[in-house]
Amino acid sequence: MKGLETASLGFQYGEGGPAALDGVSVALASGAVSWLTGAPGAGTSTLLLAACGLAPQYTGGVVSGSCRLLDEDPQTAEGRARLSGRVAYVSADPASQLSGIAETVVREVAFAPANLGWPRERIDLAAGAALDRMEVSHLSSRLPASLSGGEQQRVVIASMLVLSPEVWLLDEPGSALDARGRATLAAILADEARRGALVVVASEDADWLAGFADRLIVMAGGRIVRDGVPADLLADPALAVTGAGSTAVADFARALAERDPAFESGRLPVTVADALERWQ
Amino acid sequence: MAVTALLEFDRVGFAYRGAGVSAVTDITLSVSAGEGVALLGPNGAGKTTLLRLAMALLHPTSGDVRVSGRSTRGRMPEDLAGDAGFLFQQPEHQLFASTVGEDVAFGPRRLGRANVDAAVSEALEALELGDVRSVHPYDLPAPRRRLVALAGVLALRAGLLLLDEPTSGLDRRSRRLVRQAVARHRALGGAVLAVSHDGEFVLEALDRAIILDRGSTIQDSSVPRALGVHGAPPAPAWAEIAAALGAPAESRRFEPAVEFVSMRCRERRHA
Amino acid sequence: MRLHPFTPFLLVLATALLAVLLPAPLGPVALLVVVMLVAVATGAWRAAGAAILLSVPLWIFLLLLHGAMRGGEGWQAAVAQGARLTAIIAASLLAYRAFRPARFLDAAASRGWSSGSALLILATLQAAPRLRARAARILEAQRSRGLRVRGRPLGRIGALAPVALPLILQTLGEVDARAMALETRAVGGGRRTALENVRLRWPDHVLLAAAALAVVAAFCWRALW
Repeated sequence: MKGLETASLGFQYGEGGPAALDGVSVALASGAVSWLTGAPGAGTSTLLLAACGLAPQYTGGVVSGSCRLLDEDPQTAEGRARLSGRVAYVSADPASQLSGIAETVVREVAFAPANLGWPRERIDLAAGAALDRMEVSHLSSRLPASLSGGEQQRVVIASMLVLSPEVWLLDEPGSALDARGRATLAAILADEARRGALVVVASEDADWLAGFADRLIVMAGGRIVRDGVPADLLADPALAVTGAGSTAVADFARALAERDPAFESGRLPVTVADALERWQ
Repeated sequence: MAVTALLEFDRVGFAYRGAGVSAVTDITLSVSAGEGVALLGPNGAGKTTLLRLAMALLHPTSGDVRVSGRSTRGRMPEDLAGDAGFLFQQPEHQLFASTVGEDVAFGPRRLGRANVDAAVSEALEALELGDVRSVHPYDLPAPRRRLVALAGVLALRAGLLLLDEPTSGLDRRSRRLVRQAVARHRALGGAVLAVSHDGEFVLEALDRAIILDRGSTIQDSSVPRALGVHGAPPAPAWAEIAAALGAPAESRRFEPAVEFVSMRCRERRHA
Repeated sequence: MRLHPFTPFLLVLATALLAVLLPAPLGPVALLVVVMLVAVATGAWRAAGAAILLSVPLWIFLLLLHGAMRGGEGWQAAVAQGARLTAIIAASLLAYRAFRPARFLDAAASRGWSSGSALLILATLQAAPRLRARAARILEAQRSRGLRVRGRPLGRIGALAPVALPLILQTLGEVDARAMALETRAVGGGRRTALENVRLRWPDHVLLAAAALAVVAAFCWRALW
């Protein structure tokens, strides 16, 4: 099947160190937004890195079990070569994701297509479209290093968008973005999923993901501990046991329930609207 | 009992050399012992400029900046380190010592403080870093390195804390630890001036908010009245809920909001 | 005047050849003067200054060595050697200053060369202005913690570690992240598209021709005398 499929995937960063991933078996389908969450150290970032082969190649460490991305093996050089230009990986810090070579924003966005040997006209069209979608066309001739963090992150995302990738792997991509930037990115990722891409986002920001994730996978200690529909899992008071947080409203409701046992138990409200409906 | 102003801006103006427009114009504000003040507003409003003026990284082109009663005129940041502690953006980049403990000790040692060890221990405990005291800072993940940098500033035991986006990019737990450290600092009589886009941090840890736009003060009020207006960050969800249920401005922090809503629902149940 | 990206490097090569071929001690000294004049004419004061600074220990060593060992003739040899090396250092610094990775990549792509790991080196080299900004920021942070930068020179050296170490550690740490970013941008694959047409234009032809003539002339002079 296309998408991401892992079988007992394990990963250790150092020798004899704790398992960052411990027997993870999951199948994530293309055409949907999958959301990975958990406390720091739960393994969400490592899963993304292992899924596209960046780990252990650039991080060191030992991988065990198996993993297939778009029916290729990202843990082999041939697999990675065949996946080149089809997988987007976005992390939280924009400064370390810029190529450092492009003198203008539009050249930065054109960097990957140029490396793939696309003809100039195709690059120009795709780059223009990507800059428009990320609302940074007005920054086209600016030096990437001179932009603010939020602007840089938008450029980084545009640099991947230009390739129309089949896979999006994102690790706290909204960290450097303001509220407006996160809303734009959410809309784009939802669009990409509709277009048929595999979208996987690792993030603790439940309020942001709750609005557009199709599937929620909770990790703890390198393992998957919950897997289901976001609305259901977020409303479950027991989610806190896993170390993962829920939406701000759900956390507030849980505090209410803890304070007042007579308070309605069971499913927590997840959005402000839910809450007011119940309590007004 | 006189309340000490730890920071005063007296009609301060500042323009970068060669710039046509002033970065800040005619700013007058004071931060007293125990107060926590948020600097809010859109990008480019002059918020970071004010923080830098407070630390003598910049000197005003007009007016006067006073820290603990003494003007910053002619003084350097290293002269102010005993009175003011500055936490820069992404401070995890400035760590250099071979262990966490050594890095946190750097500041108090430079200042010639008597009880360096105690100051370091206290700062590390406050940020739950006691267990990594002998670890190399770069072996820690970025959020914990941020906390190490904050510990380094707290260990200075300066009365005034100047924070530039202290919670940006941090995970839940680290954000909570930063909030707690700020609350503790204020409770011990310190003052805080912070630039932040984090509505939760601003509401929970600070009590006053100054909104800036294009270098001038637009509003100076309590935090609940400032969130969500004029380019200030929005209030967290529970504040919104509490407000919709009739909570007064003072009851919109997390704990008071839990109280208020709980009481409201109880009343409704008995009604 | 935009030079073709390869031109500065070819000129450095020519400088090195001329440095070796031109008869000592006047030849290398004249060459050094020419290179310095070029530096001044193109506004590269910093590069010129850096070349001089870097050469100072070299000159001291050479003058001591040659002077002590060979008497009168030794000084001339020392001056020639010093001038040679300084000229090459200065020319290299000028080439580095003129270096634009994006154009270099386009020029390489036009010739059908593949990119590979050279890109990682290039990206790291481009870190210079960012490093300067970051060093300034780190210095501010340490000063805000009480680091004194005025005063005795020995104290100033002590002030280096708190600024240099984080800079180095950060940069090294970033190399991994940047390598990952470059991989996801399909670096290291096959032929790259040139984003800009980089051609040899008349200034390149003039300079390269002049340099080639000078080298040939120096070689002939050397061979005939």
